[in-house]
Amino acid sequence: MKQPLTLTINGESRLMLVEPYYSLLDCLRDEAQLTGAKKGCDEGDCGACTVLMDGKPVTSCLILAHSAHDCDITTIEGLATVDGLSPVQKAFVEHGGLQCGFCIPGLIMSATGFLQANPDPTEEDVRFAIGGNLCRCTGYARVVEAVMAAAQEMREGR
Amino acid sequence: MARFDYLEPHSVDEALGMLEKHGTAARLVAGSTDFLVRWRTGFWRPEVVVCMQHVPGLDRIDFNDDDGLSIGAMVTVQDIEQSDTVRARYPALAAGATAFAGVQVRNLATVVGNICNASPAGDTLPALLAHDAQCRIVSSSGERWLPLTEVFVGPGQTALAAGEIMTELRLPTPAPNSGGLYIKHSPRGAMDISAVGVASVVSIGPDGAFSSVRIALGAVAPTPMRAPGAEGRLVGQPPTDQNIAEAARLAAQAARPIADVRSGAEYRREIAQVLTERTLRHAAATAVGGATDFEDIRRLAVQTAW
Amino acid sequence: MTTQFKVLERNHPRVDAYDKVTGRATYASDVYLPGMLACKLLPSTRNHARIVRLDTSKAASHPGVRCVITGTDFPDIRFGSGALRDRYIMPREVVNFVGEPIAAVAADDEATALEAIELIEVEYEDLPSVVNPLSAMGTGAATVHPELEDYEGYGFTLGHNVSTLLDADRGDVDQAFKDADAVVEDVYRSQGINQGFLEPMACVADVEPNGRLVVYASTQGPYQIRASLAGVLEIPVSRIRVVAMELGGGFGAKLRLTFEAFPALLAMKTGRPVKLVNTREEVFTMNGPRLPVTNYIRSGVMRDGTIVAREAYTIFDVGAYLGAGPNSGIGHGIGAYRVPNYRLRSYGVYTNKIYVGSYRASGVADMTFAVESHMDRIAHELGLDPYDLRVKNALREGDVSVSGAVVPTNGLMETLEAIKEKIDWPRDLEDGHGLGLALCEWRSGSGPSTAAISVNDDGTVSLLTGSVDISGSDTSLAAIAAEALGIPMEKVVVAKRDTDLAPYTGQSGGSRIVYSQGTAVQRAAEDIVQKLMALAADRLGVPEDALGCEDGRVYVMDNEPQGLTFTQLAAASITSRGGPIIGTASLSSMPYTPVFAAQAAEVKVDRETGQVRVLRYIQAQDVGTAINPMAVEGQLDGGVVQGIGRALTEDQQFDPETGAVRNPSFASYLMPLAMDLPESEIVLINVPAPDGPFGARAVAEPPGFGPPAAIANAVYDAVGVRVKELPLSGERVLAALNGQNADIDFDVEALRRAEGIAAD
Repeated sequence: MKQPLTLTINGESRLMLVEPYYSLLDCLRDEAQLTGAKKGCDEGDCGACTVLMDGKPVTSCLILAHSAHDCDITTIEGLATVDGLSPVQKAFVEHGGLQCGFCIPGLIMSATGFLQANPDPTEEDVRFAIGGNLCRCTGYARVVEAVMAAAQEMREGR
Repeated sequence: MARFDYLEPHSVDEALGMLEKHGTAARLVAGSTDFLVRWRTGFWRPEVVVCMQHVPGLDRIDFNDDDGLSIGAMVTVQDIEQSDTVRARYPALAAGATAFAGVQVRNLATVVGNICNASPAGDTLPALLAHDAQCRIVSSSGERWLPLTEVFVGPGQTALAAGEIMTELRLPTPAPNSGGLYIKHSPRGAMDISAVGVASVVSIGPDGAFSSVRIALGAVAPTPMRAPGAEGRLVGQPPTDQNIAEAARLAAQAARPIADVRSGAEYRREIAQVLTERTLRHAAATAVGGATDFEDIRRLAVQTAW
Repeated sequence: MTTQFKVLERNHPRVDAYDKVTGRATYASDVYLPGMLACKLLPSTRNHARIVRLDTSKAASHPGVRCVITGTDFPDIRFGSGALRDRYIMPREVVNFVGEPIAAVAADDEATALEAIELIEVEYEDLPSVVNPLSAMGTGAATVHPELEDYEGYGFTLGHNVSTLLDADRGDVDQAFKDADAVVEDVYRSQGINQGFLEPMACVADVEPNGRLVVYASTQGPYQIRASLAGVLEIPVSRIRVVAMELGGGFGAKLRLTFEAFPALLAMKTGRPVKLVNTREEVFTMNGPRLPVTNYIRSGVMRDGTIVAREAYTIFDVGAYLGAGPNSGIGHGIGAYRVPNYRLRSYGVYTNKIYVGSYRASGVADMTFAVESHMDRIAHELGLDPYDLRVKNALREGDVSVSGAVVPTNGLMETLEAIKEKIDWPRDLEDGHGLGLALCEWRSGSGPSTAAISVNDDGTVSLLTGSVDISGSDTSLAAIAAEALGIPMEKVVVAKRDTDLAPYTGQSGGSRIVYSQGTAVQRAAEDIVQKLMALAADRLGVPEDALGCEDGRVYVMDNEPQGLTFTQLAAASITSRGGPIIGTASLSSMPYTPVFAAQAAEVKVDRETGQVRVLRYIQAQDVGTAINPMAVEGQLDGGVVQGIGRALTEDQQFDPETGAVRNPSFASYLMPLAMDLPESEIVLINVPAPDGPFGARAVAEPPGFGPPAAIANAVYDAVGVRVKELPLSGERVLAALNGQNADIDFDVEALRRAEGIAAD
């Protein structure tokens, strides 16, 4: 039976009724109407559902929604502000780091979490950091380029 | 499709009470990275899930020279991968952690959870065996310590009795002049289940010979396994190419691999030998030559990048 | 880059980029409608069986279940991917592969639907089955479709389990083999491949109050699934509206009807919206992948390397149904070479496994692996350099292609020269390292194409196209429109496609959108320019032929300051005699325009494990005019990585007894990850196509063809073993290093005999 659950998503506290067996991903999509995180496999194998939990990238399809109540959840919808895109989002646009776009919310969340903890990465670091994200369209070349460019922009912006 | 109730204890005692109450209808989860996937396939059909994530005090990594490394039950694989202590003193475990799945799963999965799932291919398990891990297991009647070598009973099966919870791991402080490495054989650099994984941890004595050797193999038997025959072949012997090659051959002989979608059985055995040799060589070299940078461990841990 | 163009040959971010990086892009699974039901499917557990009993009564009475359907709820009508109608949308009586959906449930939520699925009772009576296509062709094998000859669209009798045969012949092949200095013969085998799109198949079906069906689909071909839906549901096309949502990858798998009919029928029966989103396991086990291909190839060659004869017999496993043509064209048995005498045969063979689907130029990557590995084998047999052999035999302008068309101007030689220089061929390398080459050929895609561009009163335009964007094509089409109209990109708005709104067009696939659809857009824009000129002539009071047009401005040629801007004309058009301006164009076919790409790999082979790592991968492709270079390079990057996956790690495996997919997950079907790959190295060759829009050629298909052969050739160069079977896994390469790679059995004599060709 559905149970009440309060989650902090993108800085807002939200009260929802959620089934005990719902994953965080199902909760975000079905209950919170945040469909940016994608269900590519529902097995933790593709990374399309990646969100930040207390700043760390996690596969939301593997998380029991009810276990996430004390955490800060950031989804792709929480990155851009009224002033515009985040540096990572902007870099993906400018460097063509996306094609069909289905894996992109997950990739951007992985990159965002990674760069917050590792502001000056090597290209190899980036390739390992996005190693939990499958992309079938881009071949990753322009994705890696975008993450490196975002890192530089974030360093210079500080 | 089997619906279940979600229970959230706030202490180990409360969790033990829940397990006692619900018996075999309950399933304990930590990082839950395997749980939902196997529940969706119908493989696990509990009536009650007891989630340990909000039990305080289980997420600590502590180290001191006397007691060695303590890993709480809720410590994630990523916590281990990122730990400077682990990288410096337990390089095989750092390698096992970095070879594990991808960042997002490592941020959820716990090392103790990896043990309790008892997959023959779990990436942290050979390293934990090679670092001689001891497991603290509590129940309503008290606690006991069990060497990790005695925990694995079969694929997905452990020596834990119903109503028991593993709360902590201890890894003894490595002897001076120790080295170690874990190598995973996989066609891909992440997000894969090992076809074979081998960890070796060795110490070199003042005479230049191996003073201790622990070799553990993953994905080549129903459980992760030590290779005592190979270990015994090396203790007291100098780390020559010939000795190491001979030990690797013995380790591969001890393996009982199967064929599956990832690999044939005979290939697994061949790879077990190659990886044993490589991890031993690296372990012996770094035991006297100093630790390896994490960037190098990361490259070495995943076989494709060797 | 210097360019004659104002908009083209410059990098433009995708028009949909903002939506996609913010999570706002709406894919079919993101559609949530009030009162929506969840649909789940029951898969067959047998690969060839009669359904004796299918009892859905318990499922139907389960609380929260609104409807259960089985095959007999659909009209008794077969459909197919082409002319041959060999398949029911849901089996009525006989199942043909493990995983085939045999019932569908609509319930209040997914959990309830899944519970209902478990309550459906099925009894099967097993029928003889066959899984291996080579066995399936033999006498005595089980027959997948005993009534094949009665199916609509079955035009000819080929014999046992053979669904299709393509052939091409030229010259006196047998004589040419006799005259040759040497004959080289090989058999290659390539594996099953999943398209690997990240967005599972998804669909929401709804019924309007007037009874009209609306389908929100994840599809490459909204008009094609509309037609197929009309067929299997037996309702008029006009009663169906298909809204193509953002597409999360398709690569051919979403060209045709997949499972849209299930939620559609459930919506029609319940009057409520119904959503079906496949699980990843369902994607792997229900929707057609590429299936294994066996290639026999034999060449007659002269001492100087000239190829004088070619014989190729290719066996395509098509699984249970011809879900896609087995092969994109017979000519790929020749490759990018001039061969005066050839005999090419390509068989599609039914087996009791998941049906074959399309994937990025279906079959050509398999053929290229065989042909380009074989080219290196010829070079080594003759003691020639593999690069020189390719140059010697490569097609030239004026040669006649297998299709009979004359090869027009192209950049094939430039692509070869570019990779030679960039990888520094030939070169001595340390032990275990090697270089390999491959040459790829494709043609720019054709097919029904339309465009309508409507001019707004502020001088912006709305581009209406029925093509689904699968490659950044919306951005490229907008760029073509902007270039042709002389206005900036920002002034072109691309409307989303919906079969009620956009003009009819062919599917997005086969690298045809920019080339064919782009031509339609260019012509529609030219139509607008003509109309604007007429309007300007009227307003300026001069004859049309006195006017010029440049940079979005029409002016009097004798008096340049006198003129009207595009914006002024647009505003004027609203109240003009002719009224608001709309430009349209349509076409159904385009002239033959080949696309060539040369690729080079540098690899490292681990002699102890057999594992291969690609250190460098270089591709040079003649793309004609690069409409949006950033997008073109993105296509090349992604294509090559799919090819590297095909070469090294991807392997869809099937149970030899049941044909069931053995690795239905992303954890067991291994597509490359970021750390597995070398840097991207691309050389764009720009020989304008005589017929493409502003000289553009097709782009997306060839990059994926080369890696299996280039890498296999590099492995040979590195360690001296020839692996003829994909993928080049560590296990397979190590076996070859240990001298254990057995030749692949192939009874070519039997096939020749069947045609009455004498053995030589």
